[in-house]
Amino acid sequence: MSEFCADLYRYRELIWALALKELRVRYKRSVLGFLWALLNPLLMMIILTLVFGTIMRFSIDHYAIFLLSMLLPWTFFSQSLAYGVESVVGNAQLLKKVQVAKLVFPVAAVLANIINFLLSLLPLALLIVLLRFPLHWTWIYLPVPMLGLILFTLGTCFLFATANVFFRDVSHIVQIILSAWFYVSPIIYSLDFIPQKYRFYFRLNPMLYVLNGFRLSIYYGLLPSVQSVVMSLACGIGALVIGFGLFRHYQDSFVYYV
Amino acid sequence: MNGLALEFVDVVQRFRVIRERPDTLRELFSGLHRGSNRTTYHVFEAVKHVSFQIPHGATVGIIGRNGSGKSTILKIIAGVYKPSSGQVHVFGSIAPLIELGAGFHHELTGRENILINGLLLGLSKRQVRDLEQQIIDFAEIGEFIDAPVKQYSSGMYMRVAFAVATAVDPDILLVDEILAVGDAGFRAKCFERIASFHERGKTIILVSHDSSQIREFCDRVLLLHNGELIADSPPDEALARYDELIGQSQQQKVPAIPER
Repeated sequence: MSEFCADLYRYRELIWALALKELRVRYKRSVLGFLWALLNPLLMMIILTLVFGTIMRFSIDHYAIFLLSMLLPWTFFSQSLAYGVESVVGNAQLLKKVQVAKLVFPVAAVLANIINFLLSLLPLALLIVLLRFPLHWTWIYLPVPMLGLILFTLGTCFLFATANVFFRDVSHIVQIILSAWFYVSPIIYSLDFIPQKYRFYFRLNPMLYVLNGFRLSIYYGLLPSVQSVVMSLACGIGALVIGFGLFRHYQDSFVYYV
Repeated sequence: MNGLALEFVDVVQRFRVIRERPDTLRELFSGLHRGSNRTTYHVFEAVKHVSFQIPHGATVGIIGRNGSGKSTILKIIAGVYKPSSGQVHVFGSIAPLIELGAGFHHELTGRENILINGLLLGLSKRQVRDLEQQIIDFAEIGEFIDAPVKQYSSGMYMRVAFAVATAVDPDILLVDEILAVGDAGFRAKCFERIASFHERGKTIILVSHDSSQIREFCDRVLLLHNGELIADSPPDEALARYDELIGQSQQQKVPAIPER
């Protein structure tokens, strides 16, 4: 783990440049450019608010905010993974020609999406004000669940990026895993909706702990318990230890398989 | 630092040559199903027990026919491949001029690519910024530097790539048959730059098929044949052996022409 941090620091400029490159390429040749990073989530949120505020009414107050408080971090996770899984294979040309620390590619993919995610919080705050929903002071606590989420995302990306080098099927499977994972995580619903006898199984999902802090501080205006914070960080660190460990173990043979 | 820039001790590089695309899960499962003794690849030794030492300041040519292991050796030196066995010691920083422009992204401008490529070669952001103007001047591409690389001609692309790679100022420069870059004027400039590396006491390793290039630059030549080092000598001797090898293979081919 200390090696991971050292590499992160050592290659910080390269990682930053690669992440910016990723974003530049994503928004290149569009008239509005970087504005899309704000506009896209805003438009999506407006649609969701209209659908759930007027057409399908749930018994949850301000369902749109309830949903978005977890949907945005989830979107960050799923997009990071979609990019991250291809990050090593996609840079095959580079890996085969120059010696480069391989970890920069998954990390840059996640970093690009962190920037996107942070930008999407602005339209969320705007929407909350427009809907006259309270903008809770607990927003200032968001960096804590964000840390857990980022660590968890990094770990997962390392894991899938490694697997994808050896089995290209992984990049297809990831989409399926993500959509299944989305529905078993309490994002569009609350854990309270699940019958007591099944709840145990839902609690085995690390995503539950990783995302929990976001809804608590954005929607409920509550600080999570110490136990919940510990769980979220534990899931993040655990994922990173496993994912990076695997990545590091196999990284020298990547060049023969990409 | 001792006088060595580079040392290979009994280096072997093996590759798995894949017969069919094995990189799917089905492959894994069918392998498990039929037992693991059914292989879909064979092992190919691209470099066989190669040992040599190169002192600082030397300019060494590597020659050999296609597939003799020249580029593999350069990639081992560059750290792209970890050898299957044997030891490689490199003393000093390396800049690979191997297949230029590998890190270029077509949608980004020349300037943006210079930054990323420079960082990939181990420079800091500040160092790249300091060298930027020098790189642009050397590449002679003027205001195209702020246009996306996909609009470049292949010559412009190569010139920028060469300019970045040589701006790094390494202790050891690896050159892999890239000197067919651009027009005659630019090529002369590239040679000049390589010569200036030599004058400043840098180590240069040059892979080439061009015997006049080898004669002009190198004080020593390694000749590879089927992954084995078969000569390590002054250029004239090694080039003579090389010509012999080519002659032999052409003689062998003659009877292969069917009789009428």
